Amino acid sequence: MTAGPATRGQGRAALAYLAPALLVLVALLGYPVYQLVVISLFDYGQEQVSGGAPLTFLGLANYGTLLGSAKFWSVLGHTVGFAAVCVVGSLVLGAALAVLATRVRPWARGCLFLAALGAWATPAVAGSTIWLFLFDANFGLVNSLLGLDGFSWTYGKWTAFGLVAAEVVWCSFPFVMITLFAGIRAIPPEVLEAAALDGASGWRTATSVVLPLLRPLLIVVTIQSIIWDFKVFTQVYVMTGGGGIAGRNLVLNVYAYQEAFAASEYGLGSAIGVVMTLILLAVTGFYLRALRRSGEVL
Amino acid sequence: MRKWLACLAALVVTAGCAPVQSGPQQSGSDETTGQLRVWLFDEVNRTAKEKVIQEAVAEFQGKHAGVTVDVQYIQVSSRAERFKAAFSDPASAPDVAEFGNTDLAGYVAAGGFADLTADVAGWAEGKDLLPAVLDTAKVGGKVHGVPWYVGVRALYYRTDVFAELGLQPPSTLDEIAPLARRVRAAKPELIGISVGGKYVYGALPFVWANGGDVATREGDKYTSAIDSPQAKAGIAQYTELLRDDICPPAQCAGNGGDASVENFRGGKAAMTIGGDFNRKSVDASAAAGKYGVVPLPGKQPGSVAPAFSGGNLLGVLSGTKRRTLATQFTQLLAGKQYQRKMYDAMGNLPTFADVQRAVADADPFLKPFTTTLEAGTRFVPVTPSWAKIDAQAVLPTMLQEISGGGKDVDAATKTAAAAMNAAFSS
Amino acid sequence: MTVRAAATRAVPSGRAGLGSKARSGRARPGRVGNRRVGRGVAELVTVVVAGVVAFPLFWMVLTAIKPQDEVISADPVPWTLRPSLDSFVRALTVQNLGRYFLNSVVVALAVVALSMLVAFLAAAALTRLRFRGRTTMLIMLLVVQMVPVEALTVPLFFLMRSVGESVPAFGLNHLGSLVLVHLAFSLPFAIWMLRGFVAAVPVELEEAAAIDGASRSTFLWRILFPLVAPGLVATSVLSFIHAWNDFLFAKTFIISAAQNQTLPLALQVFVKPDQNDWGAIMAGSTLMTIPVLIFFVLVQRRLVSGLAGSVKG
Repeated sequence: MTAGPATRGQGRAALAYLAPALLVLVALLGYPVYQLVVISLFDYGQEQVSGGAPLTFLGLANYGTLLGSAKFWSVLGHTVGFAAVCVVGSLVLGAALAVLATRVRPWARGCLFLAALGAWATPAVAGSTIWLFLFDANFGLVNSLLGLDGFSWTYGKWTAFGLVAAEVVWCSFPFVMITLFAGIRAIPPEVLEAAALDGASGWRTATSVVLPLLRPLLIVVTIQSIIWDFKVFTQVYVMTGGGGIAGRNLVLNVYAYQEAFAASEYGLGSAIGVVMTLILLAVTGFYLRALRRSGEVL
Repeated sequence: MRKWLACLAALVVTAGCAPVQSGPQQSGSDETTGQLRVWLFDEVNRTAKEKVIQEAVAEFQGKHAGVTVDVQYIQVSSRAERFKAAFSDPASAPDVAEFGNTDLAGYVAAGGFADLTADVAGWAEGKDLLPAVLDTAKVGGKVHGVPWYVGVRALYYRTDVFAELGLQPPSTLDEIAPLARRVRAAKPELIGISVGGKYVYGALPFVWANGGDVATREGDKYTSAIDSPQAKAGIAQYTELLRDDICPPAQCAGNGGDASVENFRGGKAAMTIGGDFNRKSVDASAAAGKYGVVPLPGKQPGSVAPAFSGGNLLGVLSGTKRRTLATQFTQLLAGKQYQRKMYDAMGNLPTFADVQRAVADADPFLKPFTTTLEAGTRFVPVTPSWAKIDAQAVLPTMLQEISGGGKDVDAATKTAAAAMNAAFSS
Repeated sequence: MTVRAAATRAVPSGRAGLGSKARSGRARPGRVGNRRVGRGVAELVTVVVAGVVAFPLFWMVLTAIKPQDEVISADPVPWTLRPSLDSFVRALTVQNLGRYFLNSVVVALAVVALSMLVAFLAAAALTRLRFRGRTTMLIMLLVVQMVPVEALTVPLFFLMRSVGESVPAFGLNHLGSLVLVHLAFSLPFAIWMLRGFVAAVPVELEEAAAIDGASRSTFLWRILFPLVAPGLVATSVLSFIHAWNDFLFAKTFIISAAQNQTLPLALQVFVKPDQNDWGAIMAGSTLMTIPVLIFFVLVQRRLVSGLAGSVKG
């Protein structure tokens, strides 16, 4: 496209089409995000909210408190590790099953997709509750099968994290699987046939033909998974009773909610929200750069 | 991109750089018809509570034409968020609410509850309220709620198990752990004494009996005393119960008061620390008819460990549009007639001197609780900061760190004290 | 748009889905037998995996139809000989359940209708038109998804309160406030996904329409809209789920108006301090999941092509 009168006309039309979306996004997301940043610069508690105490501008003091607290760093570490496990888990499982789905007849694929859609459709609260019940210390099926009567999965730090991660992977791999499946099906058959005629092995076809074609798809799926899994809230909150014994199963989002919003430290809580967004931005920025380097344009 | 940033900068400048603050809370109007919204706590054995409330609602609606009363039961665990939301938007808030006396200072500081001093003074039944109990409804000398019931805890034990093993209920605090250990050794399926890592009001008597306290007060300022040697002795004594040979952490560390009593109700524990308000629910459980209650003993034989003087209040929200109706409903529900009914339904100890005496005379079961009350009770610091300390779960985290998180008493109390002092000074 | 992306852009929306023909059948004759064994193994694995994935849902439904004493049993078994609808009856007789259900439906449908309309226009602009700030806009759509929703509850709470002062129906305690926030939160992903569907419509079509003298808005509504409609349906599922499953905002915004509560809050009735009513919780969860699942299965093929298309073009 060249710049010029045509582009200008398109710009005007674009503005008209985008106006409703912009209005909604600026008013209902942009403005609250702006408020979030502003609140994070103040000492803003319940008394300030209800007008009982004057506002104090703190500058970056909330961020200082946060970054200076050992707990924040340990929670951050947990969050990154937990999100990494969930992302890798759903990507590996999703990709493997997507490949599997292309190799089987429709009836088998139908079963798999129906189950996956079911997992995806389950409300997070309901899904967490079901898993919790399956792994219940006394009434759960898993303990009964394994003969671990009375063993509490949610007590130990690692078993609790593992259980929550399993649930998160369960409800987030379908997105990856279905997207990648569609991506594989969209590869023109001629490309694969050409590779086969050249005598390429199955593995070689996969790594040097299919994978590069799926790259943009994989990148977006990865970004979406990172965004979702880094922000997991409901599953951790419901399954570990708000962060586990002595808060050892806290992730950032639940930490912000517990330590800050429940305790009315809205300023500090907002600072955690801003820091989370910045971390995600950095991670995504890295991916977008990789995307651009490989010649892809959004 | 640079342009966007410039726009953003301009927005920051023009939109003003301050978060939102609410205006004054009072609505000014006082309507005499319409819907009166009431929040009460959801709790164990709620059906019994609901029956009494329905009766009161029917009576109130009969007396006031054109008024409907909408009662909602809210979760104790999420009360902090619910009340905060209500205080921040008076137009959407309920008119009357039940709340715990430990939350009072924080709620009043947030401007949430109306001053009822004049209403209680001008109320015929008001003069019979126990003065010590009424004090728990005061902030700065002003009454912000009507005491609805007194909550005091004592030691529940299984008479059948004790008889079978030839045991006597403990007469000092130090006897509890060995006793509980003996029960569990003889009956491994039973928890020796069901306590919990989140059961702060079960743990505090141990602190107080050992001569410690949560915080000390100098003038207006509180300082945490949870890391004093006496307090640490009490905490060590309490967390000793959260061990595999008494109350295994995997089962107990996540429990609060309700869950601790629930184990006893389910017949899974030989002892627990429970309140007068738990009694009816225990009577309707596996432990019915085979349990007894004694005051939680102190350090010396015959003494009583100072109990936490809990209890709930009924208050009128300051943003209400139906101030008169709300006050009348509060006086009906917290009045003598319905306190008596609540006692019959739930076992809640009344807050009126005469009603309390009458029920205590008629029911020997109440003896351990009234004895505990007479021996003197203690309270948490009366400051808005307490709501914050409570919401940040400082003390439960401390107890859990000791019982399952691998920290020792010194380290855990030190962290807790630092968190408390930060809250006190903010 | 790069050449590679253009080559794979036209997603065969009818081919990728439950009923599509497996391509693996097209193999050279000599390897057919081998293939067949391989496929048999693959199918076995697929079915086992499907069973494992579906198991929690099976357990949910099973728990819902088990009688009370079997639910709380130390030896749970994966079947029941005495199915009963008691749990469903308890779940369905929660006071005002019909009202809660209706509220959830109203909110979800309003969100779907509004977000599809707005997202369609935005996606058309972002795919079909060249203008400055287009890439920035696309990046912003990704960025806003990164802000933790929970952290935004406080600013949104005050925003809704102010909105309520001028338009009560969209203020706190009213369903309108829920519609607004879910619209905002589901829009970025909806636009992102619809872009793929719009891009799949050949540019030649637009050029032909222009030659025929059709104005831009005629093209938009008469030609593009019907062609993208299947994609709109697929995208709407995700917006629907978003609004349907929400717990956080319903809890925060509907402060005291019981008549405006939604379904997820109704389920809370069974979460009790003493003993959770697992049967009723599972029955309620089943009731909540079924409409979404039906919706999902109906649009499944569109969803598959939509998710793939959303990253191309």
